[in-house]
Amino acid sequence: MTNAVAGLGLAPDAAMVTFPIEMFLPGSDISPVEARKREFYDGLTRWRSAFAADGASASPMITVQGASVEDAFARANNLMLANRWGDGLPLWPPTRERVDWILRGATQPRNHRVGIFPPRGGVTTIETCAIALAMAGGRPEYLPVLVAAVDSFLDPASGSAQLQAASGSAFPVVIVNGPIGEQIRLNSGFGCLGPDPQRPAGASIGRALRLLQQNVGGALPGIGTMANYGGVRYTNVVFAEDEANLPSGWATFGTERHAFAPGQNAISLAFANGATNIRRRGAKKETPEEDALQGMHRMADFMRVPNMPGLTGYEHGTPGILMIPGVVANTMARLGWTKASIREFLWEHSRIPTEHLRRAGCPAWLEIDSSKVVRESIALDPWPITASPDNFIVVVAGGGHPTNSYWLQGYSPGVVGRALELPGGFDELLADAERDLGPR
Amino acid sequence: MNTLEFHDPSGAIEVKQPFAPRVSGLAGKRVGFVSNEQWQAFRMLPLLKSLLEADFPGIEVLPIDAFPQGNAVIGSEQTAAAVKQSGVDAVIIGNAA
Repeated sequence: MTNAVAGLGLAPDAAMVTFPIEMFLPGSDISPVEARKREFYDGLTRWRSAFAADGASASPMITVQGASVEDAFARANNLMLANRWGDGLPLWPPTRERVDWILRGATQPRNHRVGIFPPRGGVTTIETCAIALAMAGGRPEYLPVLVAAVDSFLDPASGSAQLQAASGSAFPVVIVNGPIGEQIRLNSGFGCLGPDPQRPAGASIGRALRLLQQNVGGALPGIGTMANYGGVRYTNVVFAEDEANLPSGWATFGTERHAFAPGQNAISLAFANGATNIRRRGAKKETPEEDALQGMHRMADFMRVPNMPGLTGYEHGTPGILMIPGVVANTMARLGWTKASIREFLWEHSRIPTEHLRRAGCPAWLEIDSSKVVRESIALDPWPITASPDNFIVVVAGGGHPTNSYWLQGYSPGVVGRALELPGGFDELLADAERDLGPR
Repeated sequence: MNTLEFHDPSGAIEVKQPFAPRVSGLAGKRVGFVSNEQWQAFRMLPLLKSLLEADFPGIEVLPIDAFPQGNAVIGSEQTAAAVKQSGVDAVIIGNAA
């Protein structure tokens, strides 16, 4: 009900008299209407909206009580699910104490406005981000990455306004560059897209971003978002590039795409809607050159499919994010490969013969596209899956093992970058984390 | 008893349109109902109508079916226009669950 009111541009605290659900069932006792008639009368005569005209009012506090700490915790979690603020996994109630602790990682005042979260239109402040991070089990040193990710997400160039509500099940991918990745225990190696108790930052930051998408942005399944499947949306994807194993002469992704200075703490945000492992290495007696080339063909062949996600962001976005482990990157670098030559190879060898496009009905999608570049690309045979090789994202990440690479299929109108600011006392936060989380 | 107090995580909403001003009192006023006919509205709203009529001298409460009813129509511009045209001072909308 409040979402519906807010969606009309009204404050979400319309004069309402609320009763337990039992009164709305057939045969119910409706005498509480008479007992509480004064609330109806007040709603017509004396009620005033608690929301400031600029919508910048602070988040209200909620109180639950339980017979024990465990009971209160369970009631808080149940209430958050009932209010559609949860994701089904246990949440840490964002108490004042915990949110204030998270805000130690802020570089701006808590009421600083980051933006408006579509489609619901929730005002997103630093405090809003801290609340989500608290719920997601986060820590203060994660906040700079989360705030930068939210700022990028809300940048119109990201396409989030459409992707939040669309059926394509896009999820944000946040790539972190700079020393902060290692400092806050973002994973860049083995299992970097999955759970890691010693490197929990990516899961918390990504989950916080998802909670913001849902709780502030209103992206509830079937209501605020028509995502058919919604895969990889519990934690989104947040990882660091493995800069320690970047081959000599290879630039980080942040430097290549956004011209951030080497060593600059920064994030890049793109959207993807698919994730798959690609077996990369050879199985018999390949030479190093054959092993590298066959692996490149295997990856490009996988991308050469007419399922058309690359149309979203054909000009300025990305067809996807290719992750290759450091051990492979260094071997390839010794053979003369660079990130640029990898992108060129992928672009050239993932082109789709027009005949294959035609039998899959793809030309119609090209013809109706709003982009002139896309419409004109129909003349190209074979058809490139993206307008430029530079649109491919190639990052060095993953465990020190040569067998696999990973492809996050892009669905991304843009790729947005942000340099990070760090709060005063950041070193103290890191020391606290070492104390709390134990040795690595 | 153990108490947990925590933030509402849903963030503020930007207010682009103010709510209608409240009426100064209900005596002598004209009040209408807009019903979606759901969730026992057919019982609760008539009860509320009789309570208003008993408590406020000179009040005129329009019949529950004075305006179109049902979820499919109560949000329409036509219903809004009908409410405006009726000259009511206040409206009660129900029920949601």
